[in-house]
Amino acid sequence: MKIHDQINEKLKDEVLYKNLKNFATAYKASKENAYKGLDFESLRTRVHDLKDRDLNKVMQQFNQFRENVEKHGCKVFQAKTGEDACKYIADVMKKHNAKYMVKSKSMTSEEILLNHHLEKEGLQPIETDLGEWILQLANEHPSHMVMPAIHKTRQQVAKIFADYTGEEVDPDDIKAMVEIARRFLRDSYFKSGVGMTGANVAVASTGTIGLVTNEGNARLSSTVPPVHIVLVGYEKLCDDFNQALDIVRVLPKSATGQTITSYTTWIKGRTPSYKNEEGIKETHYVFLDNGRLAFFEHPKFKEALKCVRCGSCANICPAYEMVGGHVYGDRYIGSIGLILTALYQGDEAAKDILKMCIGCRACSFNCPSGIDLQTLISDLKLVVGKKYGINPVKKKVFKNLVAKPDRMKSVLSMGANFQFPLTKTCKTNDEKIIGTVPMLPKEMDFRKFPALASKTFSKRFYKDGYDQFTSDRKVFFYPGCAVEYFYPEMGLAMVKLLQKSGIQVDIPKKAACCGIPAIASGDPDNAKTMIFNTLDNLQGPKDYEALLVLCPTCGGAIKHEFLDFTKEDPNRYKKASMLGDMVTPIGKFLEENNIKFKVKGNMKVTYHTPCHDSRSLDYSAESFLSNLIGKQFVPLTDSNVCCGFGGTYSLDFARISNGILDKKIENIQASQAELLVTDCPGCVMQINGGLMHKKVPVKVLHLTEFIENYLEIV
Amino acid sequence: MNDLERFIEKSELVGSENLVLSNDEFSMILKKERFDYVDVPSFNLKKDIRAGEEGIGTALVEVDYGIAETGTVVVDSCEENKRLATCLAEKLLVVMPLSKLVSTLNHVADFLEERTTDMGGYVAFITGASRTADIERVLTVGVHGPKEMTVYILNDL
Repeated sequence: MKIHDQINEKLKDEVLYKNLKNFATAYKASKENAYKGLDFESLRTRVHDLKDRDLNKVMQQFNQFRENVEKHGCKVFQAKTGEDACKYIADVMKKHNAKYMVKSKSMTSEEILLNHHLEKEGLQPIETDLGEWILQLANEHPSHMVMPAIHKTRQQVAKIFADYTGEEVDPDDIKAMVEIARRFLRDSYFKSGVGMTGANVAVASTGTIGLVTNEGNARLSSTVPPVHIVLVGYEKLCDDFNQALDIVRVLPKSATGQTITSYTTWIKGRTPSYKNEEGIKETHYVFLDNGRLAFFEHPKFKEALKCVRCGSCANICPAYEMVGGHVYGDRYIGSIGLILTALYQGDEAAKDILKMCIGCRACSFNCPSGIDLQTLISDLKLVVGKKYGINPVKKKVFKNLVAKPDRMKSVLSMGANFQFPLTKTCKTNDEKIIGTVPMLPKEMDFRKFPALASKTFSKRFYKDGYDQFTSDRKVFFYPGCAVEYFYPEMGLAMVKLLQKSGIQVDIPKKAACCGIPAIASGDPDNAKTMIFNTLDNLQGPKDYEALLVLCPTCGGAIKHEFLDFTKEDPNRYKKASMLGDMVTPIGKFLEENNIKFKVKGNMKVTYHTPCHDSRSLDYSAESFLSNLIGKQFVPLTDSNVCCGFGGTYSLDFARISNGILDKKIENIQASQAELLVTDCPGCVMQINGGLMHKKVPVKVLHLTEFIENYLEIV
Repeated sequence: MNDLERFIEKSELVGSENLVLSNDEFSMILKKERFDYVDVPSFNLKKDIRAGEEGIGTALVEVDYGIAETGTVVVDSCEENKRLATCLAEKLLVVMPLSKLVSTLNHVADFLEERTTDMGGYVAFITGASRTADIERVLTVGVHGPKEMTVYILNDL
């Protein structure tokens, strides 16, 4: 099935929608609670650092682990591929004439499709984690790494259980369903010749594994049967128990918002076992490579091997929340799922799912191992975009228009002059919009599009003489495409405000795109051209106090992506680095310069935090705004959750974008604000467009326009 | 908040019952209650049974440590019957001398190291009853193991 068909099918699934939405809300609250009083940043840095190692170090840890367990008679097998691991496990079962094998939850076994392999050999694995068991009976695979059956309702589970047990199952009684699982699974531990578990950590210093579980099924799987097989990826190794405990401290908090799980079990092989003829358990460790080991030497992708499999990158992902893990991921799920699919299964398997990342960077900031997941996805998007090509229309637009500033300027001014038959004034807020976009596919019709400004920002800047204002205090302003072509008022409001405060504003000689649209679409060649255009048109940093941006996405690009794309060009790299250090969102500049305002009028105002303000420029104007307007400020639930824009993402994945926007609008309506302030023109385009489409009379303004209209400099 | 208060707060959060007792009060409980499996070396109490498929009613074990940070008890259960009893009892009761309460997870790192150096080691961190939220995220206890947990905190300081 094509990716868009899969997405559409999931978007129609009301159960999935409700379950994931409720979970996203509950998770945020419980996670915050679980980490209360702890310094998340320092905890995740610790985990990141202890997992920061090269192949040599991992193999040292492995050899130490192996030596520690082999000396007591445990067996260690190094599986090069998933198939090798499956075959070894099947052979152990056959050697012991074991028809059944109880399993506790193991994502690594999902990675290698172990159950499928064993069943083909006539062997029967039994999943004992409740969620996994439900899915095994339903012949499905997990849609979340920690809550595998999150896409199912109690009624669906009742039906699955009724079909399996032949008993009547009350479709509303979850407690009774859990009792059924207890009853039916209890016997499986005792009839299985082999028990299998994964490992959350593998401690080299004594050769011990650590298992983090809630149900207690891993304890029974590793205790009752006479043989224990541990399937584990090399990346789970750590030096000692202090490191292991540092991981155990964050894992459950990030996974489900629990302080700790009911059970954390530390097992050293060859424990007493009455079911084994020798009275001692036979223990096997299957260490899985399957493509991992190579990446320990990769400068970027080694980061992905720091994952502790908590699933939090899915928990906070707005796109995952819309489509679930059967689409957003493959064998692994969430942001890390997109990445590991590319690394373990190859880029062909990942090329479509990678595009579903909207680039909001929430995962990078939530990962308890400190993995910058979004950047890895972005890098992989560029790799697959170059290798498999991108949407040909986009490619043409990037190449022939966006990457050529002069042509872009003339085409868009022509557009601005000839768009009048299509434009109209929106009744709710008097803004000029495109009434009906010709031939717009139905799914893209979820927001109103702004009309092109009749004159660009740069044109008005010079025409109205703003370039004549001079002062000793100078800032440089990079308007970006949205302000230049759609929202010049945002830029002019800022210029007026700063000049009133005695600050001179200079702008680039020529407007050029920052390259983000091409980067997000996986088009590195055109991105590079755009970045060079922009960089060459930005004045050098001398004399300027700051490089101001009204679009944090452009600002983030200058700060981060420009460095990546100029690595082989020392002059440009140096310039990018110096400019990057100066990038400042306008709110921050006003705060730092202590520019004082007084409030005109009285209305309820709320604030949406743009993703790239908080996560690329490390700033949010929320406290600035709420301090300024005091009681008129009402907080917005999930203020820092993405609005669903993502540039061309909102056209490529219009239905996902629409779904994310709907939630934003729900929260805006719940706030009862009359005005929403934000400081990203992209967010304005998306949120304002959605509000106008739904005829919701909430005004949306960029911070600069809000200041111009509702505040006065004192 | 001291370690004991923190322990109780975290332990209550997961639904466990916590009772702070003197030795005498604990002895009274021992007289009154019946347990199917008992392993409390500090009081020289041992009642051995091998729990099978049908499970057992109650197990009473002394813990090696308590951890305030998470409201967790640490039980070395390498001995197989102890492991089976704590996994399969309907109700798990543990005895935690206050002198064994430590502040953070990392305080038991050395203990874990020591108990897993030789062949065969099995140390359990237990924080509440066996639980699941796999059906509609509704928290339900007793999916595989104990449905209830009680911590007898012995004031031995």
